[in-house]
Amino acid sequence: MNVLIVEDEKSLATEIAEFLKTENFLCDLAFTGIEASEKIAINLYDFILLDLGLPDYDGLDLIREARKTNSEASFIIITARGAVEDKVRGLDLGADDYLAKPFALIELLSRINAVARRKFNIANTDVLLDDFNMEVQSRRLVCKGNEVDLTKKEYDLLQYLVLNRGKVLTRQQLYEHIWGNILDDQYDSNFIDVHIKNLRKKLNAHAPAPWLETVRGVGYRISSQE
Amino acid sequence: MRLKVKLSLFNLLSKLVFTVIFLLLMPFIIERINLSQVDNDLINKREQVITLISEIGIEPFITSDSSNAFGSYNILKEEFISLERITPGEELNYIDVTSRLIEGEEIDYRILNYSLEVDGQTYLLEVGKSLQSIVHTGRNIRQVMLVFLTFIIIITFIADFQYTRILLKPMDEIENKLKRISDPSFFDMSPVKTTTSDFVRLDSALRELMSHINLLFQKEKEITVNISHELLTPVSVLRSKLENILLRRDLDPEVEVKIEESLKTLHRLQSLINSLLLIARIESRQYLREDTFSLNELLMEIAAEINPVAEDAGVLIRKELNDDHQLRKFNRSLIYSMFYNIVNNAVKNTPPGGDVLIKSVRQQKGIIVVISDTGIGLTEGQKKNLFLRFKMRNEDSREGTGIGLAIAKTVADFHNLEVTVSSEPGRGTKFSFSFPEIS
Repeated sequence: MNVLIVEDEKSLATEIAEFLKTENFLCDLAFTGIEASEKIAINLYDFILLDLGLPDYDGLDLIREARKTNSEASFIIITARGAVEDKVRGLDLGADDYLAKPFALIELLSRINAVARRKFNIANTDVLLDDFNMEVQSRRLVCKGNEVDLTKKEYDLLQYLVLNRGKVLTRQQLYEHIWGNILDDQYDSNFIDVHIKNLRKKLNAHAPAPWLETVRGVGYRISSQE
Repeated sequence: MRLKVKLSLFNLLSKLVFTVIFLLLMPFIIERINLSQVDNDLINKREQVITLISEIGIEPFITSDSSNAFGSYNILKEEFISLERITPGEELNYIDVTSRLIEGEEIDYRILNYSLEVDGQTYLLEVGKSLQSIVHTGRNIRQVMLVFLTFIIIITFIADFQYTRILLKPMDEIENKLKRISDPSFFDMSPVKTTTSDFVRLDSALRELMSHINLLFQKEKEITVNISHELLTPVSVLRSKLENILLRRDLDPEVEVKIEESLKTLHRLQSLINSLLLIARIESRQYLREDTFSLNELLMEIAAEINPVAEDAGVLIRKELNDDHQLRKFNRSLIYSMFYNIVNNAVKNTPPGGDVLIKSVRQQKGIIVVISDTGIGLTEGQKKNLFLRFKMRNEDSREGTGIGLAIAKTVADFHNLEVTVSSEPGRGTKFSFSFPEIS
């Protein structure tokens, strides 16, 4: 898939590109609004990551322009402004999602994937984890025919880890995904540990779940399939 | 004492003083006026008598041999005229007050004594007028004046008071305008209606000052917002770089841990900036207040959210949600944040085996939400600094930046909620939020 990254902070743009390339995206960079406007007019993109705080352009104008030229691109707004009105205006103009800086690259990826699934109507397939079967469509975890009774938070945690299978997710990344990019002092790594602990207890009551790994000092990971 | 009362009292007092002085002086004045009136009368009468004598001679009054005196008085003995022959001497012409015995009755008279010479004989003419009537008139006038002045004083006092009240009304309005607001940005900028230029000047000076303060506040808040934005971009760059490194599969576990620690520190910086940004945004009213929701449902949600962590820490969260209330025109996510911070804080500060109570109860003031714990409590010094940013950062380096309570207070102020804290060291802390009921 083709992604255009519109971001005036060059080192941030290159980091995002580096990350997305490892996830098999084709990335194009634009550091100014004019550059972006030209690239949007010429090329076809599936995704445009748009920083609203461009020095030479109101980022929201780019969405208007792109919509006029019938571009099929999905917009994901990334901004440090984060003001509520910006968010509402962006989404009103047809942006598909909105991420406040600083965000986790993994979170960006999962947002892109979510938009892609919606856009291309990709059905969520079930995920098999040893004896457990994650029925993504119905948000259920089943083990040998019995449903594992998970809270919403526990399910969300597990699903996020599954989506990023093979990658270590830090507590902070998990926290931000589940509780949102909470604006204040509420982040507490203990939260994640407690929920993982409860999750493990529930899983182990049905069957061993060695695939849910703790990476000491870093975070949690679901081991990749052999 | 209020200005209008002071002014009216001063007016009243000065009027009373003048009245008393006037009433004290009045007898003398009246006497003076009366006496000069009487004296004029007496002189007139004297002239009449002299004219009469020069026209008809002295004989009709005094015959040369039969008697040497003439006297006449009217029946009520108010006035008399007497004429008597006297031995010649010095000329007499004076007025004095003398008692006269007339028909067994002693009466004070004002008497004009005048010597005149007719046909070689010297006569003494006395014209007298009783002072009885003068005393009566004086007393009457005094009574009338007393009643009249009392009446005038009462009327003018009421009029003065009312007028001062109307006059000083703009003052009350200005005072109310100032009292009503908790923040200069709420100041009512419409001018106070008055024709008194002093108040117009005061009002416009105040308005000028307020808009100046507002401008400064606004600038300060804008600076905070701008700085926060500027800071978030480099944080974002660093974060992406570190996350990219962490995604490499060939990393030494030691490096991995170090990077995660760096990410954690970076996250602390990020949440600090975001917290300051949040406070600045609330204070510059960038948040809307247009949600309607149930207070108890919100509290249940928060309790459920924190419960797993509380359980893990051996702290029991108890709920006594007795009276529910629909909050109108509130910002739900801010109120959520506020209570979340308080409850989370309570759980963190309570040792295992303790409990945290979330209570909602209806009182006269409205609905009160009480969040109390059986935790370590606060010292007086801590209580004072409780809502100040960064002051509550504990020595044990728990996560969090010590800004959670400052956020809670900002949110409470934004919604005009009254927050009270009571605490005993070692016994626990109690936060109360009162929601006025307007329905």
